[in-house]
Amino acid sequence: MPAETTGAPNTGAPVNTAAPAQDGSKTAPPPANSTAPKAEGEKLTPAQLKAKAKAEKAARRAQVKEARAAAPVPSPVQEKGAVTDGKGGKGKGKPDGQQTQGKGGHSQGRRPSFSGRRPSGAPIEKDVRSTIPDAFSHIPMAKRIPTSQAHKDVHPAVLAVGQQMATFALSDSISRLQATLLAFRKVIESYETPKGNSLSRHFVPHVLNPQIEYLTECRPMCFAMGNAIRLLKGKINKFDINTGDEEAKEGLLEWIDFLINERINLAEYAIARNAALLINEGDTLLTYGRHRLVEKTFLEAKKDGKSFEVTVIDDPFERSGQDLAKVLRQAGIPVLYSPNLGGLRPKVAAATNVFLGGEAIFANGSLHAPSGTADVAMSAANAGVKVIVLCETINFDRDRVSVDSLTYNEIDPERNSAESFRLLFDNTHDKYITGVVTEFESGGGNSPAQAILALLRKQEDPLID
Amino acid sequence: MAPSQASHVPTLDGLIKSFNNQSLEASIESLIFLLKRRQVKGDECAKATAYILRQVVAKAKWNDVDQLLSRIASAGSRLARAAPLEPVIGNVVRRVLGLIRDEASEDRNADDIASEAASDIQTLTPATNPSVQPPQRPALPHRPTLSALSSGLQVSKSMFNLLSVAEPGDSPMTGASTPMSQAQPASIHSLRSEVMDGIEEILDEINQADDQIAGFAEIQIHPGDYVLAYQPSRTVERFLVKAASKRRFTVVIAGLEASGAGTEAPYASLRKRLNSAGVKTVNLASNGLMAYIPRVNKVIFSAKAVYQNGGLLVDSGSCIAAQAAHEYLKPVIALCPVYKFCPEDPSDEVSRGELGNPSDYVSYANGPAVGALDVENTVTDYIPPDLVDVYLTNLGPQTQHHLANILADHYKTEDTGFSLQLGEP
Repeated sequence: MPAETTGAPNTGAPVNTAAPAQDGSKTAPPPANSTAPKAEGEKLTPAQLKAKAKAEKAARRAQVKEARAAAPVPSPVQEKGAVTDGKGGKGKGKPDGQQTQGKGGHSQGRRPSFSGRRPSGAPIEKDVRSTIPDAFSHIPMAKRIPTSQAHKDVHPAVLAVGQQMATFALSDSISRLQATLLAFRKVIESYETPKGNSLSRHFVPHVLNPQIEYLTECRPMCFAMGNAIRLLKGKINKFDINTGDEEAKEGLLEWIDFLINERINLAEYAIARNAALLINEGDTLLTYGRHRLVEKTFLEAKKDGKSFEVTVIDDPFERSGQDLAKVLRQAGIPVLYSPNLGGLRPKVAAATNVFLGGEAIFANGSLHAPSGTADVAMSAANAGVKVIVLCETINFDRDRVSVDSLTYNEIDPERNSAESFRLLFDNTHDKYITGVVTEFESGGGNSPAQAILALLRKQEDPLID
Repeated sequence: MAPSQASHVPTLDGLIKSFNNQSLEASIESLIFLLKRRQVKGDECAKATAYILRQVVAKAKWNDVDQLLSRIASAGSRLARAAPLEPVIGNVVRRVLGLIRDEASEDRNADDIASEAASDIQTLTPATNPSVQPPQRPALPHRPTLSALSSGLQVSKSMFNLLSVAEPGDSPMTGASTPMSQAQPASIHSLRSEVMDGIEEILDEINQADDQIAGFAEIQIHPGDYVLAYQPSRTVERFLVKAASKRRFTVVIAGLEASGAGTEAPYASLRKRLNSAGVKTVNLASNGLMAYIPRVNKVIFSAKAVYQNGGLLVDSGSCIAAQAAHEYLKPVIALCPVYKFCPEDPSDEVSRGELGNPSDYVSYANGPAVGALDVENTVTDYIPPDLVDVYLTNLGPQTQHHLANILADHYKTEDTGFSLQLGEP
């Protein structure tokens, strides 16, 4: 629709003849045009500017109205027309605004661009979410945001991490946490406190929050990230207002390194050690999918010279368990691989222990873990088999309580269509969990799932908090 | 007449049609072949078995009831052995055996009544004797005063036959039935047609069962329900479609992933039919169901067989659905036509499940890494009776405690041990 682009604020627009259908618009613009060429050379008075803007706006409105009235039937075409109109407006409005340097011109240039972006963005987004059944429509979903659409304050490192999260290149909570912390490290390194501000007051609202917002937009934050960010903000707030910039930055970087070391690397080691102690000679162990900690634990136990068998139950829609099965097989552990939950009852009943990895544990002790975990845990608990959950304490959520899988969950963006629907996680009630192994040392590091609040309270580590 | 001529998987209709053109032995062999390759499954097994048994009745050589019973039993056990985890085959064989016994005993009773009447008449008018003479009766004494003796003879005869049953003749299957040792061609002919009619009735029952079950859909499904249909079979599909004509609800379809990623969307035709009826569908791409069960009002799936303890043999994964539903106290409705009720207890093999082809899940192309793994793709599950709330049969909904009645109505006690002979060559 070339007619509509002419309707955009085209400063000296005698080209209007290109619109044969728009008689109404023709009558409207001429007064504006008649003033415009005259005003072109010298500076416009604010009143003139205003009048001109008004006229142009009226002309554009009339045009759009008429276009709608003229072609009410092919609505998609019309929508497209609106988009091109908006884009045209944006493209030409900007130089216009700069040229006149008037407030009106600026707002004019902006507004169509704004409305122009929406129709192009909204239908896609609507499509994506429209296939979600009503019952699950409240559940968030990761989405890919083109890097060009990201907020300008987003640090490149965070940008990359966000993309990786949206595409599930980083999928489990700990690797997401680690990537986030490392990206934040970069953000801190490149941060310089503006004059008259202090890091402890300026950094969080002006620098950190946009990063967090962006990450959340890419994919809802995992609970470990939430915890880490809470700790980070607490740490920043504790700096004295007069702390030197360098000193504060140094402190933060150190603290992030410490957090990664203590709560991720060391925790992994400690959990694998603690959990490996629970494996006895001749055991048959069962696990679901592939979890880093479970894998580490089995390998650790094997290194200790124990001989045992592992049954790997997999999710046919993820098939990550297959990799685990291969890794374990390579380590010389006999593996029975079951590609789906079929025949779970007899398989679980034949096991001595079930080891499950967790994404998070809520304050009420329920486990947030990849979809299917709850079924395995339930089946095992009903068969009288011990269910041991491995989870770092950074994944514990002390504020939230979840009683079903629809409270905190995510929709799999890959499998969200009329043909298939999938939630990424499920919620395992604490009654199915025999014990949780954490990196926390007391009592061998094992505790019932309900005890996590007590555990967290004991864990108030002066170095971390 | 190789069964795999045109397409690799012959349709049931084609198979049944081929039965008419080939010899009995060839038909049995071809069905066994298909059963072993699991190309005939589930409900089709029942139908195919009934057809084969009808062929046996029609084509096999038999001179009396015992021979017929043994022919049926031997053909049946060959089929049942070919697919040990398709108990419906055994069920149909049992039904046919029971049917033959019924027909035979009816004949005999008729005979007995006739002979009783005859002997009564004989006592009065011995002259009428030859006209009502039943074929196998010993020639009656001429003197009417010996009627007492004749009845004594009868008793001894039936006693004799009771013993003769135990003799290892060509009829190990007769059980307690009193055979008609020398049936005449006329009665054999009528027995044959009666038995074939009976098998026809069984076939009708099998064919109508799905519709009859669907008739109860309205009662079980309420407006606004979320119904989880686990791997909907034809029975479940018909049930849901029928319900969709009366109710507005949502069907959540779950199941193991369809084999091969490139195949068309699973249950597309069912979803289309439901959607066109105004019923929403959600196709879950998930194995785990605990996440969705709180949303769901009831779980529906069809059984491959129901054992006498009430346990179910089902497609794999259904057990998870049932267990999850049980945990949340959601009703579990198993659709099971009466012909799937099996007068046996589940064996260990049943509870362990049948193993299927794992190559859908594991690519054997990447050799040693996968080759070292033990891959078990279980394709059947056993569901213990306490997880099932309703057994929805074509005779109406049943509970676990009344299954014995159904079994007693449909099978003869002599035949319940049919499967015990399965192991023997």
